Amino acid sequence: MTNLHSIAATVALVCLAALDPAQAGAQPTAPPPPPERTTAISGYMDFHFNKLELEDGRLDFHRFVLLVTHRFSDRIRFVSELEVEHALVEGLEEAGELELEQAYVDFLLARRFNVRAGMMLMPVGIINERHEPPIYYGVERPFVDTLIVPTTWFEVGAGVHGEIGRGWRYRAYITSPLNAREFTAEEGIRNGRQKGADTNIGRPAVTGRLEYAGVRGLTAGASFWTGHSGFEFRPRFEVPVTVTEADVRYSRNRLELRGQFAHTTIGNAAELNGALGRAVGVDPNVASALRGFYGEAGYRVISGASFGDVGLFARYENFDTQYRMPDGYLPLKALDRDALVVGFTYWPDADVAVKFDYSALRNRSSVIRSHNSLNLGLGWWF
Amino acid sequence: MSRTFTLGSLLCVVVCGLAATARPDARAAGQAKAQVIEIAAERFSYTPSEFRVKADAPVEIRLSSDDTDHGFRILGTDINIIIPKRGKGSATVTFQPPKPGRYVFECSKLCGAGHAFMRGTLIAE
Repeated sequence: MTNLHSIAATVALVCLAALDPAQAGAQPTAPPPPPERTTAISGYMDFHFNKLELEDGRLDFHRFVLLVTHRFSDRIRFVSELEVEHALVEGLEEAGELELEQAYVDFLLARRFNVRAGMMLMPVGIINERHEPPIYYGVERPFVDTLIVPTTWFEVGAGVHGEIGRGWRYRAYITSPLNAREFTAEEGIRNGRQKGADTNIGRPAVTGRLEYAGVRGLTAGASFWTGHSGFEFRPRFEVPVTVTEADVRYSRNRLELRGQFAHTTIGNAAELNGALGRAVGVDPNVASALRGFYGEAGYRVISGASFGDVGLFARYENFDTQYRMPDGYLPLKALDRDALVVGFTYWPDADVAVKFDYSALRNRSSVIRSHNSLNLGLGWWF
Repeated sequence: MSRTFTLGSLLCVVVCGLAATARPDARAAGQAKAQVIEIAAERFSYTPSEFRVKADAPVEIRLSSDDTDHGFRILGTDINIIIPKRGKGSATVTFQPPKPGRYVFECSKLCGAGHAFMRGTLIAE
């Protein structure tokens, strides 16, 4: 009986001890923090093989990008992104470019209101602010994100940004405007980017974005950019340009869906064409409106395997850089294009993407054909 | 007397045993309802980016990434961990708010062009 008393008492003590969280180890502990770093370096690369129909294939080290950030304090930090395009810089864009795509200082004042100044990405569209190769399908960026929204679109300026609660975020910047002297029929406003190089800021442009990211996997946003772009002409005349854009992106588990619509208006396009025609001898036929949209679906047919993930995708795009013409001008129908892009991405690691796609292009011209292309790419982030 | 003591001891064992096994469940249930937060990270946002917790109890924060590896750092504290990249698991950290208030968290691992936008707020009430 005495033994029974002892056993019962011992078990009771053990049970009582189990009620003490400290002794039972019930308090979970955090893993030790990594060493604090105030300066960080990272980057991404993009290596392509492009085979355009009826032409020889080409290998291109398209992008070599380094990001350097520094945190002066919890409230002040610096972000930069330096890019070498096409591996070689010879002074002309066709040969290559060395671009300072981002170099700004953030003053983090409050969650709802922060101030940013320097070289900034324009907050327009899906790709411009989110363009690391492993996170989008396709070897090249979408045509709409090249010809209607001229990614990578960066300018100098200053602005504010913040989150206003429940996943709603905004950006609003004052920046240097586009230069209408460089507008073309085929590429619209793309060549008008001043890129922060001794920019004209006589009449600053304004850009902004409102974005909702309050549900896991879903991001929906709307953006605008508006500015006056005729500052290089004498006598000076107004060339008001407005870009409006809306996009949605949803990804969950294996599925990823994207859609984007972008529309650009160019005011006084007839006067612009006249001035450019007198300057260079050829009327450039710049449109008064450009429009593009696309929808994309991707699905990871293999996910979580030891050798990585594989995703298939298809994207339909419609993009027209001659969507509306000024009075007296006819659109070049070869520039009213659509594309069906299909392919796959293989991720041996979440930060490494091997890509393949085939792009079938069509246009409205009965004379000029658009050429299809086969593309292979290797992109990585580190 | 001896019989009474034995029965008392056994009753104590049963009660304590039940309590010892029941208490973790009760704690887990409580955490699941109010003090366990699951956060998904992707370029360049956390979801949710704002959440409320009770200030007088620790909060377990479970983090996963839908793309690359991200960081999770709560400003003004020693909480600073890496969230493994997609397919490489998740990270869990327990945070005891030192006092009621708003705690800003941010990505502490450079993750891309929009890295600076990856911020959120934990509100301890």
